[in-house]
Amino acid sequence: MELNADVKESDHKATRVQGGLNFRLNAKTSEKIAFAFLGLSVLIVVGFVLVILAYIVYNGYNAINIGFLTEMPRLMMTQGGIYPAIVGTLYLIIGSMTVALPVGVMVAIYLNEYAGETRTTWLIEMAINNLAGTPSVVFGLFGLALFVKYFGFGPSLLSSSLTLSLLILPVIIRATEEALLTVPKEYRESSLALGVSKWQTIRHVVLPAAIPGIVTGSVLSIGRVAGETAPILFTGVAYFLPRLPDSVYSQFMALPYHLFVLATAGTNIAKTRSIQYGTALVLLIIVLGLNLVAVLIRRHYRKKLKV
Amino acid sequence: MTEGIQNVSKPQIKVENLNLWYGEKQALKNVSMHIPRNSITALIGPSGCGKSTFIRCLNRMNDLINNCRIEGKVTIESNNIYGPDVDVVDLRKSVGMVFQKPNPFPMSIYDNVAYGPRIHGANRKDLDGIVEQALHSAAIWDEVSDRLKSPALSLSGGQQQRLCIARTLAVKPKIILFDEPTSALDPISTLRIEDLTMNLKKDYTIVIVTHNMQQAARISDYTGFFLMGELIEFGQTKQIFQNPREKSTEDYITGRFG
Repeated sequence: MELNADVKESDHKATRVQGGLNFRLNAKTSEKIAFAFLGLSVLIVVGFVLVILAYIVYNGYNAINIGFLTEMPRLMMTQGGIYPAIVGTLYLIIGSMTVALPVGVMVAIYLNEYAGETRTTWLIEMAINNLAGTPSVVFGLFGLALFVKYFGFGPSLLSSSLTLSLLILPVIIRATEEALLTVPKEYRESSLALGVSKWQTIRHVVLPAAIPGIVTGSVLSIGRVAGETAPILFTGVAYFLPRLPDSVYSQFMALPYHLFVLATAGTNIAKTRSIQYGTALVLLIIVLGLNLVAVLIRRHYRKKLKV
Repeated sequence: MTEGIQNVSKPQIKVENLNLWYGEKQALKNVSMHIPRNSITALIGPSGCGKSTFIRCLNRMNDLINNCRIEGKVTIESNNIYGPDVDVVDLRKSVGMVFQKPNPFPMSIYDNVAYGPRIHGANRKDLDGIVEQALHSAAIWDEVSDRLKSPALSLSGGQQQRLCIARTLAVKPKIILFDEPTSALDPISTLRIEDLTMNLKKDYTIVIVTHNMQQAARISDYTGFFLMGELIEFGQTKQIFQNPREKSTEDYITGRFG
């Protein structure tokens, strides 16, 4: 009996303590607090993006004119345009996407549709995840060793494009796999039940339904290709090259590296301030423009698929 | 189970001692059944009894499931469909399937029906005729003939299911498997599908899995009752519903469990 009474008393205490703290919020208050924190987080993110954008536009828009976009750099890069860097960056995008997009999509199809859940598949998935987390400077060194030296492509557009395509391969594979996973199992089943082979099913039903997701992933990787500096630094980008690359074996200029050069190693850093911001602005516009194109493609396919 | 063997002179589908395992779990136990040509065979039983698993053995859809193991013999038109030289793709051309949830592809009505024939190499100028005929047979032509190019997903659930039937018919199968085709539909759409299956039986052999016992009684010629992976009883629908031999069949039909 005594014991029992003890227990009861401690129970009582516990409730009293809880009651004393009185820290339980009612649903309405907690909703308000949660909403405030979530909203604040969004404001911080949007705010920083806007500030960065505004800063670059404010400092850079003066530099931009037709000449800036279409002329070669002059007078040790303190005058003239950034035409070769723009072209170089576009070439890099085209080159790396030409390699990485088909390969990445095919790898994803294989892993998602054909490979079973075996230890080997698991290892491959792990390898791809690790590839995605590898610092880009490591890709640069690898590209230097493999493409520039071993394959003898030299410092060139080709070496840089291949290096960048390795860098974005995991992004494209992941995005494609995610997109394939969202295609309902029913589409596959009903196609197979019509006596349509697996590959035909993938080609005619699964891939069309997955295209919006694949496009989204590809755009993310275009952003990376346009912005990366380390991988091309080792494999082909030129400090200064007042002409366009004339083959895949040529060296080239690229916007992010040009920006880096102007801002850190140029002949007259202060004098080129507006060119620097102009270059950054052009880079941003290219990436945003490509994003926009991707959104349009995605919307086109969504419309075709949905009602 | 000998109960499954009917005195059918020329069965189109012969299933003998079919056993199926999902990993360690046995889902079908020694099922034998003879299904006659141009008839409707209904498979009934409580959830998880193996009736859907069984029907998916007839077009080898179970091949798609990992660690699914099958023993026994399934013969269609005197071909062992689990034989080593069988092309599954060809098998599924002659054994069509309509699923539980209406699942048209995200394409136009026309393209949905033309999908199968197109891939199987139908002549482009024949395609219009094939599509129209399939839509007629599936009793949906009158409702969609003026909007063949609009998306299939804009149709109602019942229309979508009839479109899926048309899509199956367009491949010109000999046997059609229905896996609970009306369980996602309203009563009126259900009746239309039932009428449709009864019309189709003069050209096709139909096997239908259903949760709805009235449906089985209304439309089928033969009924099989499954319980825990076993075919408990198989016979003419009249006999199964009016005079079941097994106690568990009677219990299920009278609604004592299930």
